Amino acid sequence: MKNVTAKWLLALLCSAAVVLPSFADESVVLIISAESKVEQLDSLEVRKLFLGMTVTHNGDRLRPLLNEADPRIKDVFLQNIVSMTDMTYDRRILLLALQGGRSLPTVYTNSTTLINSVAADPRAVSFAWAKDVQRDKRIRVLRVLWHD
Amino acid sequence: MPKSSSRVSIAFALLTLCSANAALADHEHASNEFEVFLAAEAIHGSGQSHAGDDDTWFNADFVFGLTQHKFRVFGEFYVTPDEHDLERLQFGYEFVPETVLWLGRFHQPGSAWNTEHHHGRYLQTAITRPFIERWEDEQGLLPQHITGALFESRRPVGTDGAIQFAGGAGAGPGLTDNALDPIDLINHNPGEHRLSLTARVAYLPEYTGASSFGLLYGHDHIATNSAPVVNALNSHNAVLSIAGAYGDWNSERWRIIGAVYYVDVALDPTARDESFISGYVQAERQLPHGLTVFGRIEDSARMQESSYVALFEDHDNDIDIALRRNALGLRWDYARRQALTVELSHVVSLHQQSDEVRLQWSAVVP
Repeated sequence: MKNVTAKWLLALLCSAAVVLPSFADESVVLIISAESKVEQLDSLEVRKLFLGMTVTHNGDRLRPLLNEADPRIKDVFLQNIVSMTDMTYDRRILLLALQGGRSLPTVYTNSTTLINSVAADPRAVSFAWAKDVQRDKRIRVLRVLWHD
Repeated sequence: MPKSSSRVSIAFALLTLCSANAALADHEHASNEFEVFLAAEAIHGSGQSHAGDDDTWFNADFVFGLTQHKFRVFGEFYVTPDEHDLERLQFGYEFVPETVLWLGRFHQPGSAWNTEHHHGRYLQTAITRPFIERWEDEQGLLPQHITGALFESRRPVGTDGAIQFAGGAGAGPGLTDNALDPIDLINHNPGEHRLSLTARVAYLPEYTGASSFGLLYGHDHIATNSAPVVNALNSHNAVLSIAGAYGDWNSERWRIIGAVYYVDVALDPTARDESFISGYVQAERQLPHGLTVFGRIEDSARMQESSYVALFEDHDNDIDIALRRNALGLRWDYARRQALTVELSHVVSLHQQSDEVRLQWSAVVP
């Protein structure tokens, strides 16, 4: 009986070991440089930032970097951060550029380049899959924006 | 140097300055912006010998901006086969986030449509703009370009909302034979520019949202030395007092934008003062496959009795002044940042009626 229970426990632990990392993979996190002085950003500040509005911390204007490394993370961003369709978001940020020359968020289509850019700029704010940044000492995760 | 070459050179220098700052921007944490809004249009109208002033077959709107620390520079250079003008050039200082004082030439904040769409056609779902919102060089009735100071602020109210305030003061347009003539930043100015005061106060249900509802104000002293204008008005001055209200409601698939303006025209004591009302409402509905259907109704009261309004009719057989217009159209966003639009409209002007059909391609690059 003891042997059967141990086998079941072992199987359960193995399953958990397989499942837990994949759960972490399915999280999108808000990231900044490890050298950044930003402690936290609430949902409204994140939304303002990615809609091209001015967000400052300790007098520094934060800089949004848009992660378009894969279509899924773009969808997560559109649905959970700005709550807009792709076309509506594009028109909103173009409108801000037309109204006052505001800078559009810089778009990155490669996640490694994006993470390097965030790491290098204490004013940069972006988002990434948790698995892509969890072991990167140059990056600080502010919070989980979405998980499956 | 010929006048037009001079204007192009100065504009080119500004654009180059903006582009050259890109490398500097990366290094000094400045950011800049450069977009070009393009459009090409075809029009056919019954009873018109040629297209109106707002219907050039091609136009390009160059928008450039530079932000460094709290300083901002912004410009808009508009090119058509008939004109190339530096429409806006603004130098701003952002005291606190979303509160900016600008100096330069700007679009007056008392226009519901133009402060939203400016010159770029791509972001304007319809092809045409309402007649009351026309620019000065398109037989527009109201001053739109002011040179002076513009203060803009958006402050949070309650848990989600915001109050937006914009106020402008500066030199407005003078009045030549049949058009308002704003200060030209590059070219010769004939003078006769008097004080213009304009403002907008709006409530935004969501701080970051696109919906807003507000009140509009304008007070423009317009002077003229043009003999035909003085004869027609029996006055050397026209003081426009404008009061308006607007709403711009956006939901996921719907947008409704509407505005109404009451315009009082005070003339010299030798002439009788006059007033008129003009307004419009436009509804848009997004459909599947990148399609958007839209319709607009424009109407007015007492415009046909106004000697001030009649000044802007240039008798070239196009429609300069519309008393009423009904428009219906379909836009197709068939590719990223490119759209095709067809618009059908029926216009009642001061002297004629016309049915019009327009086809437009619009885009933004890069």
